[in-house]
Amino acid sequence: MRLTIRATLSIAVGVLALTLPACSSGDSRAGSAGGPVQLTLLSHYGSEPAKGGLDKMISQWNKENPDIQVKSEVVKFDDLLTTLMVRQTGGRGADIVSAYGLWGGQLEKANVLAKVPDDVQKSIKASYSEAAQGAVTTGDTLLGFPTELNTYVLFYNKTILKAAGITNPPATWDELKTDAQKVAKRDANGNVLVEGISLIQDGDNKSVHPFLSLLDSAGGQFLGPDGTAAFDDAKGKAALRLEADLAKAKSTDTSISPTKQFRSGRVAMAIQAGWWVGSLKTQMGGKYSDVGVAPVPGPAAGSKGSLAYGFFMGVNQRSKHQEQAWKFLTWLNEHKTDKGVTGMGQYMADMGLIPPRTADVESLKKSLSDPNLIPIYDAAKYAMPEPNLVGAYEAKTALHKAIMTVLVNEQSPDNALAEAVKGVKPQ
Amino acid sequence: MAALTEMVVHDSARHPPGKASAGRSAMARQESLAAYLFLSPALLFFGVFLVLPFLFALVLAVSDWSGFDLGTIRWAGLDNFADVLKPDGAFVKPILVNTLLFAFGSVALATAGSLLVASCIDRLRFQGFWRVLYFLPVVATVVAIGNIWKMMYQPAGLINGLLNKLGVNSVGFLSDPHLALPAVTVVHAWASIGGAVLILIAGLKAIDGTYYEAAEVDGANSWQMFWQITLPLLRPSLLFVLITQFIGGLQSFALIIVMTTDGGPVNATNVAAFEMYQQAFKFGAWGTASAMAMVLFVVIFLITLLQLWIARRKGEETS
Repeated sequence: MRLTIRATLSIAVGVLALTLPACSSGDSRAGSAGGPVQLTLLSHYGSEPAKGGLDKMISQWNKENPDIQVKSEVVKFDDLLTTLMVRQTGGRGADIVSAYGLWGGQLEKANVLAKVPDDVQKSIKASYSEAAQGAVTTGDTLLGFPTELNTYVLFYNKTILKAAGITNPPATWDELKTDAQKVAKRDANGNVLVEGISLIQDGDNKSVHPFLSLLDSAGGQFLGPDGTAAFDDAKGKAALRLEADLAKAKSTDTSISPTKQFRSGRVAMAIQAGWWVGSLKTQMGGKYSDVGVAPVPGPAAGSKGSLAYGFFMGVNQRSKHQEQAWKFLTWLNEHKTDKGVTGMGQYMADMGLIPPRTADVESLKKSLSDPNLIPIYDAAKYAMPEPNLVGAYEAKTALHKAIMTVLVNEQSPDNALAEAVKGVKPQ
Repeated sequence: MAALTEMVVHDSARHPPGKASAGRSAMARQESLAAYLFLSPALLFFGVFLVLPFLFALVLAVSDWSGFDLGTIRWAGLDNFADVLKPDGAFVKPILVNTLLFAFGSVALATAGSLLVASCIDRLRFQGFWRVLYFLPVVATVVAIGNIWKMMYQPAGLINGLLNKLGVNSVGFLSDPHLALPAVTVVHAWASIGGAVLILIAGLKAIDGTYYEAAEVDGANSWQMFWQITLPLLRPSLLFVLITQFIGGLQSFALIIVMTTDGGPVNATNVAAFEMYQQAFKFGAWGTASAMAMVLFVVIFLITLLQLWIARRKGEETS
């Protein structure tokens, strides 16, 4: 019996010895005495060409700076916020984080991000576009270096519009309604053959960004500076009434996915982000010449609107090597390539995205091979930056649900917006 | 008898009563200790992965916490519960109502379906083959099942194609707010039939054949035998199926994410577990999410108690 107990004790001690270290939260990344500092960078740039481009810049840095070595860690965008949250809570957050601007308020409230040093802030304020800065600023706090910037524009299929006798893309809301109705087609069973205009996109809160682009074209705002709802004014109601009219006329249908069906000619027009250019080029091959891009039209001739959302790279408040992390980030965002633009600017342009630096935009615009990129770049000048206060994500979800009640349930736009206001919780 | 007395006396002489009792007690203690030590890995597992998260959720339900930093947890009292249960909020209606409809609907369909399938399989040859066939959806991933059904439900999908052939216009199964929840419920029920079929077949096999022989002699038809013999004797297995399927239905949301992405259209398929996930991981409202979890826990607990109470009144228990 004694032998059994001894054996049992040995097993129990063994189990504890095996399990307890797994439960601990030790961090082996901290630079050991005398060795190079090891920094980790967590981002969603895990697929090509994003991954290769970032790895190339990091390799160059690691080669030139043996004392500060950077390691890239990637997850899918859908898992990025969860990974950030879980790792930070467990004391294993990366030194440098790449995050979506909309999460900025949440990250700031939870003290995840270190303050951007004054000299870095000064440099960013002097060199980056207003849209890029606005998309990564919460209140008065700049969250980090603006990196990825996207603006919304109107994509259209030239062949479908031409077949309906439309020579130019719509320039006003009235033209948008008329053109969308003219090109929309259904079969005898009610199946959509061609959707006139798509007002949704794939992914999270899919109806909000196209709506906010229309709202911007009318001069409206999403949220006020204090996080209260601003979308329920006359301009917001007018923008949602436009969407309601399009739904009522069966010119738009939320069951059609533009990212899957535009390429096959089943969607005539769609309000989408600029990154879509790169996807369409790959998916459509030779048929990409059918694609045209124009600004999102406004209620009157000459008015236009867009939404700008961005990503940023910031330093973790808990990083033991904040100084080195800012040093690396400054190099990553400011070092120049042979073409005279920054490495980050070229990296973004290679992915079909807008470089956030004004000088890079001007320089790269001169050599743009695709005319479709011009309206996308131009939109950075007038686009509404996506608000990223604490509670903005929740407000966005409430607005999405309200828009869908209009598009799907044919609810009154005014009532839908009043309902959405209840979901906005300024903090 | 004399020999026995002699043995006892002899044994008592060798081991005085006090010492024997102390020895037995020490041995019992050692055995208890050994038992706990053998149980310790399992207890550690349950402690770490069940008890601690539950207690943490309980603490968060009365706190304000946006994630990331445990040092920022602040006491909020019952504010989260008031927020979650407020009459004009979305959690009670439509979310909790959707959850119950989804769970009740899928349990009713899956139980009726599995009962029918199990009764049929019980009369067929090659029963192993049929069991495997119906169990396949349980083995398949939710992502695969959800995507296949999503394609079938599309306006140009298989189901609408058949409807069109019959002269019926296409139906927006996943885009019509009135149809989306029933459409997803059917898929969940279909995917859960396999597990229930296995349990019910085992229950059917346990019914003594002599009951049926006696009923046949008395002139009972198949329908009467099903209602008077099969169903009452299958009640313990049915109760197990009902309870496990119902709990699964109340907690399920993976299928809904795959098929509708966001619990839409217009919250039509939003269920409690999905809303909790959104509150915690998207909005960083861990207090609200944990309060919702506690409310759902109470709902599941009460419904399970009700099911057990009804079953016990009829004199049945799960095995």
